[in-house]
Amino acid sequence: MTIRHAWEWTSVHGTAIAFSSPAAGTSLSEGYRVNLRFIDWIWHVRGSLALAPGQTGDEAFDRIAPVFAQAGTGHERAGDTLVFHKKDPAAQDKMAVFNSGTLWVEQGAAGPVLRYHLISRFLLFCFLAPLLFLAFAQLTLTVAKFQKPEAASASAKSDKAKKAGSKADAKKPDVQLNPIDKFLGAPAPDNKKKDGEKGGKRDKKPSATPAYVFASFFAILYIIGRVLEDRLVRRLFKRRLEDQGLSAPSSAGSLPVSLRTT
Amino acid sequence: MDGVRVGKRMIGAQSPVTIGWENIPEVEGGPVKRFIFTWFQPFFWFAFIAFWYYAPNSLATASTGVTIGIGFRLLLIGLEWINPRFKSWQITWKEFVTDLFYVGLGYTILRIVDSYIGSDVMVKAVQSHFHWESFRWFVGLPLLVQAFLIAFIFDFGQYWMHRGMHNWYPLWLPHSVHHYITQLNVNKGAVGNPVELFLIGLGVGGFFDFVPRAFMLAGAIGGVGAYQHINVRFNSPRWWRFLFNTTEHHSLHHSQDFEATRSNYSNSFIFIDRIFGTCIDGEAELLGMEGGRRMSIPEQMTYPFTEGWKTLKEKFGRVSTVAVPAE
Repeated sequence: MTIRHAWEWTSVHGTAIAFSSPAAGTSLSEGYRVNLRFIDWIWHVRGSLALAPGQTGDEAFDRIAPVFAQAGTGHERAGDTLVFHKKDPAAQDKMAVFNSGTLWVEQGAAGPVLRYHLISRFLLFCFLAPLLFLAFAQLTLTVAKFQKPEAASASAKSDKAKKAGSKADAKKPDVQLNPIDKFLGAPAPDNKKKDGEKGGKRDKKPSATPAYVFASFFAILYIIGRVLEDRLVRRLFKRRLEDQGLSAPSSAGSLPVSLRTT
Repeated sequence: MDGVRVGKRMIGAQSPVTIGWENIPEVEGGPVKRFIFTWFQPFFWFAFIAFWYYAPNSLATASTGVTIGIGFRLLLIGLEWINPRFKSWQITWKEFVTDLFYVGLGYTILRIVDSYIGSDVMVKAVQSHFHWESFRWFVGLPLLVQAFLIAFIFDFGQYWMHRGMHNWYPLWLPHSVHHYITQLNVNKGAVGNPVELFLIGLGVGGFFDFVPRAFMLAGAIGGVGAYQHINVRFNSPRWWRFLFNTTEHHSLHHSQDFEATRSNYSNSFIFIDRIFGTCIDGEAELLGMEGGRRMSIPEQMTYPFTEGWKTLKEKFGRVSTVAVPAE
């Protein structure tokens, strides 16, 4: 097979990706080594499925190939290896979450095995999204701090104005319900409340709570997605290999052929 | 594709659409299901109005509104699973995360921006300019009149902002990102370039002082806008679809057919479109731009700027002079 990416090398040969500093003059093996496999499970999905007895690699790929007949998807087969890549896949593409990947057939202890290694930048995005929202929370707190001194100085300035204004406020008539609303039994407005307590969009103050809530949402969604998408793609490949009544490319919302870009 | 003539326009010549209520499929299933999906929208509309009208002051607060809003949204997501309008619009994990990301932006960073340059700031500036007291008569109006006027003025502003986005290129650039969505669901209204999300949020609910309860009631009355992106098939009563924007109307607005997109601009009250002659009753399943190409989040963030830059370069860039040989 043609190895195009470091991760393909890693997936096939199981060795670490090594980075070395040329300036240090050290050899590759002595260089600074980062084994991405410690963290790349975040956005890499790997798995394997045993082929049916007697099923060859070609037959397996013939059965699986239709899942790549989707808008924005390209794939190449070379011997026992299939490489695919996706750009802007359709929402209903069952592998929409993955950008690229490699599937290959190798001889296992109990017979031929289909192995796959899929990459999802979207999983990585979801993994990092909580950090973004935590940053928004910090920004909100900073803005709130920035607004506080402003408000304090404004309130000091307005102390005098308040004293003067209190007379005007006293003159301000209480809000009375329209007679129709009184007749229909709507509760009278609470005139004791200050303007700031009125509620509604106009009176909202910056709060970091929504940012924290969304950060936790995305953390939970990442865990769900990492497990779910792993299982779904495994089920998809398994069904294709077993060909359980899936003669056509499996996507409820796939576009008509005439509309496909590839 | 021939398309259908609606007034002077040919709708659906580029992409399939369904025009006319009589041609739109109805909810299938037993009498209970059909009853629920016929009366769901009117029932909750009246129920929310009654709630905000009669709720005691201690309960009629913004936080109650937020709680009800989230709970109701979850209910709508559940309905999308039970009775989807189109299977091709059904939610996936990736779509849900994408949509929620934009909902999150709306609740966080955009809220901060709004607090400095949003419509609330403009309202306060205008109020102080025209003197608060001069509008106090508004408070004396019946609650439902106040609420309707707040909702209507807001939607009227949205209508013209939205129509402007479809007719003026600098506004179209940020809005175009929202038209790359290829399916509708309750959260899709939040998807778009942040510049557009800011602009479309520049609705002014009225320069008036109002009873706080009226603001909540306005949310209940105009809240029907939440249905415009929903992936649920309803048998909306005739009066409902005459007055309010429905997912049918809005799907047509998101169609891949250019002429169809130039219709149904309002957010809640479709009668505003009827008044200005931009309403088309119908629906579409195939949505989006460029044949339904789905745009990634990074492209959604940058598209208005990259496209705008391309256009500027084309318009004002140095024209290469090609020597044409004399014959």
